[in-house]
Amino acid sequence: MKQESFQALHGAEWDALERWLDVRLQPRARDRLLDASGVMADIEFPAAYRRVCQQLALAERRAYSTLLIERLRELVHRGHLVLYRPRPPAARAILEFFGATFPRLVRRHWRSMAVAAALFFVPLFALIGTLQLRPELAHAVLGPEQLAEVEEMYDPAEHEDRLGRDEQTDLMMFGFYVWNNVSIGFRTFASGLLVGIGPVVTLATNGMFIGTVAGHLTAIGYGGPFWRFVATHSAPELLAIAIAGGAGLQLGMAVLAPGRRSRGRALVEAGRDGAKLALGVFGMLVLAAFIEAFWSSKAALPDLVRFPVAALLWIGILAWLALGGRNLPPDSDPER
Amino acid sequence: MLDTLTLVETPEGISLHLRSAGLMPRAAAWAIDFAIRLGIVWATGVAIALLGKTGMAIYLLVLFVVFWGYPVLFEVLRDGQTLGKRALNLRVVADSGAPVGWVASITRNLMRTVDMLPFCYGFGAVASLVDPRSRRLGDMVAGTLVVHAEPRRAKGPPALPAAPVQPPVVLAPAERAAVVAFAERAPLLTNERQQELAALLQPLTGTYGNDAVQRLLGMASAILGRRS
Repeated sequence: MKQESFQALHGAEWDALERWLDVRLQPRARDRLLDASGVMADIEFPAAYRRVCQQLALAERRAYSTLLIERLRELVHRGHLVLYRPRPPAARAILEFFGATFPRLVRRHWRSMAVAAALFFVPLFALIGTLQLRPELAHAVLGPEQLAEVEEMYDPAEHEDRLGRDEQTDLMMFGFYVWNNVSIGFRTFASGLLVGIGPVVTLATNGMFIGTVAGHLTAIGYGGPFWRFVATHSAPELLAIAIAGGAGLQLGMAVLAPGRRSRGRALVEAGRDGAKLALGVFGMLVLAAFIEAFWSSKAALPDLVRFPVAALLWIGILAWLALGGRNLPPDSDPER
Repeated sequence: MLDTLTLVETPEGISLHLRSAGLMPRAAAWAIDFAIRLGIVWATGVAIALLGKTGMAIYLLVLFVVFWGYPVLFEVLRDGQTLGKRALNLRVVADSGAPVGWVASITRNLMRTVDMLPFCYGFGAVASLVDPRSRRLGDMVAGTLVVHAEPRRAKGPPALPAAPVQPPVVLAPAERAAVVAFAERAPLLTNERQQELAALLQPLTGTYGNDAVQRLLGMASAILGRRS
């Protein structure tokens, strides 16, 4: 068939598809609804797209003119972008992610997670213990100004109604915690691409810092306000940082030891899991920020309420990570 | 190959032609986005200065969304284009040619943290100069590409003024394609250049000058299947 007859045969179809694509790709949903009628029904799009694919293949095979092939290629690529467009996040998908996908991912990468948790919690608890016996060692980790600052923050003689902060409002601190902590979590993960050095450094230094502050305050008798403040939100916050570090380590391992995959393939797989883990870390840190801003800081809360709630939260989050989604068959993990 | 073209076969059995965008257009798109984000943060800062500490909370949340969320939301919800990329006609796609998904977009934007190192996107710039498809590190981890979005083209071949002329010999498919390509490009060339190119085909046309051009255009007409 000569090109002219080919174009005469299918030209109207291409024009219709082109107009439909123009309309459907308009940014505002209202315009799309208004204009889509009269061009082509949405249900006809996949079939029309496949027909154009076939016509493109024919045109290339028959060496039709470049302009025609270019036009069909453009049409096909635009159609491809619409046909394979990602779905908007549905409430159910979000629920499924936090209920099953995320804890399962944490368990699947349990080796990285265990290493990350060790890097973080071992220095933390070791320093708390050591500082009870040798309090002067706190000065080896933190400078005098930093120590003075945390001492001032948790001085039991001050701050009768507010724990862990000065005059800022709860809401402002919420904003601050979200911005600050989530950024730390994301960076801990992403810096894993540098052969895992980023998470190792972040986890170890943060573990040491928190351990020193906690150990020092306990040793000098300021432990009361400090532990009352951190008990509850530490559960989601510390575990989230450890998970972010674990995801980062796993990314670093994909660079260092990709195993039987190409390095590029290993990176893509580690990145896909890592992004999902980072999304879960984001959720946990927002929860932590919420608790830290609106619950932990309330000095009026009786310890009989505060500490049981904190214990419940620790147990609950650990149980969620250990058990979440374990009844689903292994292949039901959505890949996207 | 010095070409930036990547061919990707789709499930429909055809190849998508992806033209990767290099460092400079991407940097320009980033600069536009950066200016917009800075503008949003600044405008929020001015607006909430009146609200005091509650405003401060809004400011920090806006900062968070603009810093971490802006590229992801635009890339997934606006067909792979942030405002800066739209201005430069760039688009983020998966390396399979499919639209970029949530997970891939989150990955490539989280990895900015590493691409920004040691300063001013140093790692990202080096990676995209070294990589044949000019991907930065984040693109490699996410499996994405930044490509030039297709320019809007004229619809189909232009009308050819010449009457159809049958070529004196049977032409091979590639030769026919070359003749048609000449006819399609002719409107973009000066008359002198057309004659110069047509002179190369003197054995086929048998003449030089404007006659040769007209004969070639006529042959293109015949090859396309026009009737006089």
